[in-house]
Amino acid sequence: MEIQLTINDEPTTVEVESDEDLATVLRRNGYTGVKCGCDGGACGASKVFVDDEVKMACGVDARSAEGAEIETIENLGTQDDLHPIQEAFVDHFAVQCGFCIPGMIIAAKSLLADNPDPTEAEVREAIDDNLCRCTGYQKPVEAILDAADRMRGERSVAADGGSRIEPDQTDCTAHGGDPDE
Amino acid sequence: MSDEPNDPQTDGGTASEPASKEPKEFEEHPLEWDEPENNDKAPEDRKSVSRPAEKFDDRKLVTGQAKYTADYEQRFPDLAHAAVVRSTVPHGRVTAIETDEAEEMDGVYAVLTPWSDAAPDAKYTSAGQSYPEPSPWDMNVLNEHVRYVGDPIAAVAAEDAAAAASAVESIEVEYEEYDHVVDPEEAFDEDAPQLFDDDEVENKIVGHDYDRNRMSNIEGEIGDVDAAIDRDDVHVHETEWETIRQSHAQIEKHTSLAYTDEDDRKVLVTSTQVPNHTRRQLAHLFDIPIRDIRVKKPRVGGGFGGKQAMVVEPLPLALSLAADRPVMYEASRDEEFYAMRSRHPMTVRARTAVTDDGEIEAIDLYALSNTGAYGSHGMTVAGNVGSKPMPLYSKVPNARFEADIVHTNTPQTGAMRGYGAPQGTLALEGHLDEVARDLDLDPIEFRRDHYMEVGDLDEIAGMMGGEGAERRIRSCGLDECVERGKAAIGWDELEQPAEDHLHRGIGMALSAQGTGVAGDELGAAQLMMNEDGSFHLQVGGVDIGTGADTAFIQIAAEVLGCDEDDIIVKSSDTDNTPFDYGAYASSTTYISGMAVKKAAEDAKERILDWASRMLDEPAENLETRDGEVYSEETGDAVTLEDIGYESVYGHDDREHILGKGTHSTEESPPPFAAQFVDVTVDEETGEFEVNELVVAVDCGVAINPGMAEGQVEGANHMSFEMAVSEGITVDERGRAEVSDFDQYGLPSATETPPIESILVETHEPTGPFGAKSVAEVPTNTVPPALSNAIREAVGVRINEMPITAEKIKAALEER
Repeated sequence: MEIQLTINDEPTTVEVESDEDLATVLRRNGYTGVKCGCDGGACGASKVFVDDEVKMACGVDARSAEGAEIETIENLGTQDDLHPIQEAFVDHFAVQCGFCIPGMIIAAKSLLADNPDPTEAEVREAIDDNLCRCTGYQKPVEAILDAADRMRGERSVAADGGSRIEPDQTDCTAHGGDPDE
Repeated sequence: MSDEPNDPQTDGGTASEPASKEPKEFEEHPLEWDEPENNDKAPEDRKSVSRPAEKFDDRKLVTGQAKYTADYEQRFPDLAHAAVVRSTVPHGRVTAIETDEAEEMDGVYAVLTPWSDAAPDAKYTSAGQSYPEPSPWDMNVLNEHVRYVGDPIAAVAAEDAAAAASAVESIEVEYEEYDHVVDPEEAFDEDAPQLFDDDEVENKIVGHDYDRNRMSNIEGEIGDVDAAIDRDDVHVHETEWETIRQSHAQIEKHTSLAYTDEDDRKVLVTSTQVPNHTRRQLAHLFDIPIRDIRVKKPRVGGGFGGKQAMVVEPLPLALSLAADRPVMYEASRDEEFYAMRSRHPMTVRARTAVTDDGEIEAIDLYALSNTGAYGSHGMTVAGNVGSKPMPLYSKVPNARFEADIVHTNTPQTGAMRGYGAPQGTLALEGHLDEVARDLDLDPIEFRRDHYMEVGDLDEIAGMMGGEGAERRIRSCGLDECVERGKAAIGWDELEQPAEDHLHRGIGMALSAQGTGVAGDELGAAQLMMNEDGSFHLQVGGVDIGTGADTAFIQIAAEVLGCDEDDIIVKSSDTDNTPFDYGAYASSTTYISGMAVKKAAEDAKERILDWASRMLDEPAENLETRDGEVYSEETGDAVTLEDIGYESVYGHDDREHILGKGTHSTEESPPPFAAQFVDVTVDEETGEFEVNELVVAVDCGVAINPGMAEGQVEGANHMSFEMAVSEGITVDERGRAEVSDFDQYGLPSATETPPIESILVETHEPTGPFGAKSVAEVPTNTVPPALSNAIREAVGVRINEMPITAEKIKAALEER
């Protein structure tokens, strides 16, 4: 069947099979920033906003989303113009394999929308269902705290106080190595 | 491949004649290393190395634009999806498979069984290791003789995942079921059910005895341990330790996509750590020339050793050939736990002979390793139980290590970050802590009296045999790791909680690893200059999320004196990048990075030659800096861009500036770590809280400190899990009792204590710009340090992982 969704501000009609989850439908339509790590709502990699509420897309029946506004990681920032949360993740080396990171950034965005000045404990709570195998969470937590500062307009210092990023090193643009070819 | 016992050369794990007791000179490992010119740059002279350069793929990763294997689905409109029929019995023989219904279902393109012509029937090992593999060839892609719940029996390709799953459900398998065994001690009994007949295994490994389910036995000794233990002036201590079956739990599941391209090449886009080994193994299985297979690695969503194996690739390739269309196979998370790979669970016994005044006269370790149904990485992982941690105490004159590696009807094990060192480090560092307590010695000073220092000839690393495993220690930051770790955790100013029933304690443990496999590694790189003065770096090394590609760029940029942005990296595509053994054994920065350095130096030589002509200055007066070549004599300069154009357009002797580098070495310098764990234990309930983890690591020069810290913290998180989570438990039929992340205890953000990582800089002259490895050594240390911390806090010892409140409470009650 076909359903109407607004995905990243674009009204769209998408084909949905019965029993299909929203993550599968989004990925099939090119939103592959939505990741699937667990087969069912346990790792957080597929987090998206559904009508401004964070959901794990792999746990949402796609048909139930009829008419919903969906926001995925693809809507946050571009490589040339990162969202402050994305920027903080880059500056803090909070990204290793990156597979869980889109979901974690969505969770962080939701947190900071509700609570612009969270404590470390509140940050950890907010990403508690975003499992990451690479980072030990230390740097993502620091990145999110720093992003909160940035979004409140306060210039940041690395949260551990030990590895302040010099401006000339944060400004370098992405290298062009396209993983596709 | 011969049937003779393999005498494997790799990973420190093979039997050999005991080394002579006479001290050797190790002439091949001189202390004064002939270091390449300009390898040892002072920190202030480094432009790219040891700076926090942005990770080259980070912007793609944080915006969701990076492409992992599953994301290639979009590019193949006729892509089929695979699903696998797996054994539901722990041990038996498949007598019949009913596939008619599946074959007739709409949208099903191919169904393979062990008897299908299109299913490879050669024996192989899934372990992605050098050739010939130091693991037995004991499995088939689809197995008729099944040995664990999860063994693949049949496979389906269908138009979508749902159709493939339905087809798999319709397939009925009949078995002749055999007795099974899941306990490694029982499996070692001669009367136990036998998993392998001798003729079912090729490429057998040293010490195999399949009548006793033993895949391998290895042993090595220096000095005379028995004589030292028999002395009447020593205390002999013995302890035993048990570790968990840990899951890699990489968030991207094993995923692989196969197709035949327009040039008739068999292409695998796959989430692997070992593209070149995978290509070779596929060639063997499918009887296709190596040259006709292409393995390319997109972004990889974590490996940790779980992808240092050809776990899934043969299935989509076989199905794509049978169905004549692209096929993708993505394991389910359930399959990840019961049918992919895990860390070998082990029992390790530690024994020492120590004099009254604290001299360690002998160390003796024995490991019983449960390799599960197949032998992949079994012998080499077990070898590292001894050969990684024991050399920490290189001043001990007598040392022995022995391991038995046995089969059980349980899920397959394999390589995992640390590679045997976590099991051995728990036993050794827990044991030494207990000995220090018995003798009333300071646990740190006791260690310090025996641990490695610069200049030591390390015979213990070589006692298990292996080319080049013996080594000279040329960089060692253990003292600084200990001192900075102590300061960071507050070792000397610990305050006890106000409540009487709460007790706080700090435990510590040391660790050493290797950097690459001594004498058995290869990395290669090519660098080509574009006419605009930029470079394409083609490197076989494999970035699985560690940031290796960025480290390669930084190393090349340091040599070439250019901006990191001017180097485009392309790694791990067997058609387009040079050979590399793969991402394992902590080798990537050290081995592949050195190949990159050599390639950059080769290109630089040509660049200086062109600049010499253009500036009319001898090349020896020239140096590169900030995208230019300048003359130290005259100050004249020419840009790399000008050289780029001039070299291909502007001169009669036109040339394309290309650099190549290839690197292999007999060296495997150890990185070091000192771990500190601060814990509070409730004496009434046994409940405990880890307040902080501090780990200080000597990784030589950190090519990118931000990335190196991330590696340390992630490794420590994995080590913490090994101490407090149950891992994959199995039931009486050997079936994994864990099927999802809710059941598997991967600690979440609120369950993980704060981790402080400290990088201690030393200079390793054999590594690129002084680097050695970083990513494995902090995986080894939390289990012993936490056990030691609990012993310090409440006086009880937990030897069996995971450490739980129940075990502490039981031990407190027994006290």
